[in-house]
Amino acid sequence: MSNDNLQYEKKFLPGKVLNIGMALLAIGLIVGALAFVLDPVRAGFSYLLGFFFVLTIGVGALFIIALEYVAGADWSTPMRRVPEFLGSSVPFFLLLAVPLFFLMNDLYHWTHTAAVESDPILKGKEPYLNISFFIIRVVVIFVLWSAYYFFVVRNSRKQDETRDQKLTKKNIVLSAVFIPIFAITLTLAGIDWMMSLDAHWFSTIYGVYVFSGALLAGLAATTLAVVMLKERGYLHPRMHNDSLASLGGLLFAFINFWAYIAFSQFLLIWYANLPEETVWFIRRWEGAWSIITLVLIVVHFLVPYTMLVSAPSKKNPKRLKFAAVWILFAHLIDLYWLIMPEYHGEKSGFIYVLTEFGFPIAMIGGLVVLFYFNFNKHNAVPVGDPKLERGLMNRP
Amino acid sequence: MNIDYSKELPLIHGRLSLGEIEDLIAKPMSEKPNRKYYIALAVTLTLFLIGAISLGYTFYYGIGMWGNNQPVGWAFEIVNFVFWIGIGHAGTLISAILFLLRQKWRTAIARFAETMTIFAVMVAGIFPTIHTGRPWLDGYLLPYPSQNGLWVNFTSPLLWDVFAVSTYFTVSLVFWYIGLIPDFAVMRDRTTTKVKKFIYSLFSLGWRHSNRNWQHYEKSYVILAGFATPLVLSVHTIVSFDFAVSIMPGWHTTIFPPYFVGGAIFSGFAMVVTVLLFVRKVFDLENIITVDHLERMNKVILATGMMVGYAYATEFFIAWYSGVPFEQFVFINRIFGPYAWAYWIMVSCNVIFPQFFWFRKLRRSIPVMFIIVILVNVGMWFERFVIVVTSLHRDYLPSSWGYFKPTIFDIGLLVGSFGMFFTLVLLFVKAMPVVSIAEVKAVADGAQPTHHGGEH
Repeated sequence: MSNDNLQYEKKFLPGKVLNIGMALLAIGLIVGALAFVLDPVRAGFSYLLGFFFVLTIGVGALFIIALEYVAGADWSTPMRRVPEFLGSSVPFFLLLAVPLFFLMNDLYHWTHTAAVESDPILKGKEPYLNISFFIIRVVVIFVLWSAYYFFVVRNSRKQDETRDQKLTKKNIVLSAVFIPIFAITLTLAGIDWMMSLDAHWFSTIYGVYVFSGALLAGLAATTLAVVMLKERGYLHPRMHNDSLASLGGLLFAFINFWAYIAFSQFLLIWYANLPEETVWFIRRWEGAWSIITLVLIVVHFLVPYTMLVSAPSKKNPKRLKFAAVWILFAHLIDLYWLIMPEYHGEKSGFIYVLTEFGFPIAMIGGLVVLFYFNFNKHNAVPVGDPKLERGLMNRP
Repeated sequence: MNIDYSKELPLIHGRLSLGEIEDLIAKPMSEKPNRKYYIALAVTLTLFLIGAISLGYTFYYGIGMWGNNQPVGWAFEIVNFVFWIGIGHAGTLISAILFLLRQKWRTAIARFAETMTIFAVMVAGIFPTIHTGRPWLDGYLLPYPSQNGLWVNFTSPLLWDVFAVSTYFTVSLVFWYIGLIPDFAVMRDRTTTKVKKFIYSLFSLGWRHSNRNWQHYEKSYVILAGFATPLVLSVHTIVSFDFAVSIMPGWHTTIFPPYFVGGAIFSGFAMVVTVLLFVRKVFDLENIITVDHLERMNKVILATGMMVGYAYATEFFIAWYSGVPFEQFVFINRIFGPYAWAYWIMVSCNVIFPQFFWFRKLRRSIPVMFIIVILVNVGMWFERFVIVVTSLHRDYLPSSWGYFKPTIFDIGLLVGSFGMFFTLVLLFVKAMPVVSIAEVKAVADGAQPTHHGGEH
């Protein structure tokens, strides 16, 4: 073991990354602005799509950090900085939510006072679904998420210098408290932003569904960044390909988990056949939407399942990179499938418009820019973490 | 308490040598059972007998002996079925999922949990069979081409249960047996009496501890773990379908599948901790099944307890949010209706009391955890009672409202199920190694050579 004493040396990302991020941001904003001029309501929906896509990557990453601390995992310690950088987007979403507050009237039927007065079901939901309580919830949720991000990352970075084990302990407590809060807040966020697009419809599993998608998005983005950084030598030189196996394994597990949750929701609603519940699936089965529904099953489950089922594929960097990009794409389709049929409603089938992807592209660009600045400012490896050495030794 | 995070916690305490580990685990099987063992067996057999008598009455007079009525057509026997199937979830979770996650601490508890899985599924299987009313006709549950022209209803989740439970039982049994083969070989080599030697030789299938034996073993173990993992999820998912595919308010809710699986793991872990607390004490296994193991299990109990709490809260909130008056009524009725006592037992035992496990001191205290896990067992039985009975007892029309009271035979069958389970557990601890000798040796200090020369 001659290379045992190799240590991590800080390397900086080239300006090319920043340029790519900036370019995506600019293109996305231009296309988004165009979409807004053409059809403001539709643009509002696509803004929500982009918002939720990048938000789920961020909060998924926060959950991965929390999971590492609570489970006492060591394999993920050498790569923990990557989810930390990805999570840096979360505090910005409070600002990014502001345009949505102005678009609420277009997106959410329950904000129309006249409609609520004439609809006894919406009237019944008014104590929960009203604009002021909605905004309070959004603010509280983002403050809680941002607080976790700031504290956990501050402790983690402080440890780079002090190497104080007490900081690990602090983060364990912080994460253990965060996880139940996260479960509740993510459920509420899912209900508020997406489920209430159709304010009549309800499903108790919805929060779990949103969680499965968010965790998958966080994992896929982490995997993609870890593999790309590792290949180019930005991470710890002693990090072995084998340590990717757990990332691949988790991706595989949560692909299955998502399918399990999605199937459970569908089967129970289809089987019981109650009109107030089936309406949601029928809307996704009308006209060309049925194609999107079928595509979702193939793209979000069958293909990634096959890609990652074998043991060697779970630690093959090339395969992982491809699978991660694929899963992120599938997640975008999943969110599209959740959000956009509510725009089209009963009036038309699914019509594909390129401008819908303006805002998602802009938000992805923003995430790349944030990643660039965070990466170059901080160590890419938690050098002071007591579990680092264990993580580097970990060979499945 | 300061923990050094740069080192892994040792899994075995007391610096035991490999030989000492083997002696310790094999000891109960080489000694004659003592008085205490016979007393314990007498107690469990008595309980078992009570169940057998209740069952005899049920067979003779029919299921009218139970408290089931209109509108509560499903009661204790379905509750017991779901409860015991739930208990049977910890074993495969520990042995298969934790194995795939490379959690080494599973080694000391996996065998016991797997065994409990098998016994719990055996107990559970009795209830739907007798609930059919004419158990001698249960053969028709299996789809086979018969001259009677009878064919099963493939769209019914009750039939899916037949497949799910029997598959789960079969795979769990094979998984458990594969893990036992090397240990049977150890027992074969240690034992002195002829009869025992014959039996252990038979079951060890000619195991020679050779490199080739181990290679085959490891490979089949991984494959079986892969098979067993989806089964852990599928069984309780399908049990939840028994309720959720209906259109009963209180039963029909989409969160049921993951909620049932979480609850099953919760109750299964609680039962494993309950029994392990006795086993480690009686057989001096405190250095192998350490407080660290129990603490980890208590953490799982805390986590899954909160998952169950999350499901209660979601169900309640969405019932209100849905705006469906029948949904709303069922949940108000659960909390304030005639079965409010059962609901509050459920909430306090499953959601409130496990919160004590947030504190490290309480998580590691044997008396505290003993009380909490017993409460969790109680709470999880009541959870199923609340789901099954309270959803049924007040039908849409107030003229079809009723109240279910168990008869002595219902209670006798419940008591008998515990008797059967613990009798089987007692027989097991004297016949087979309660901890996997081979696996525990593999995680002992020094068994895994490192380039530091095994120093710690």
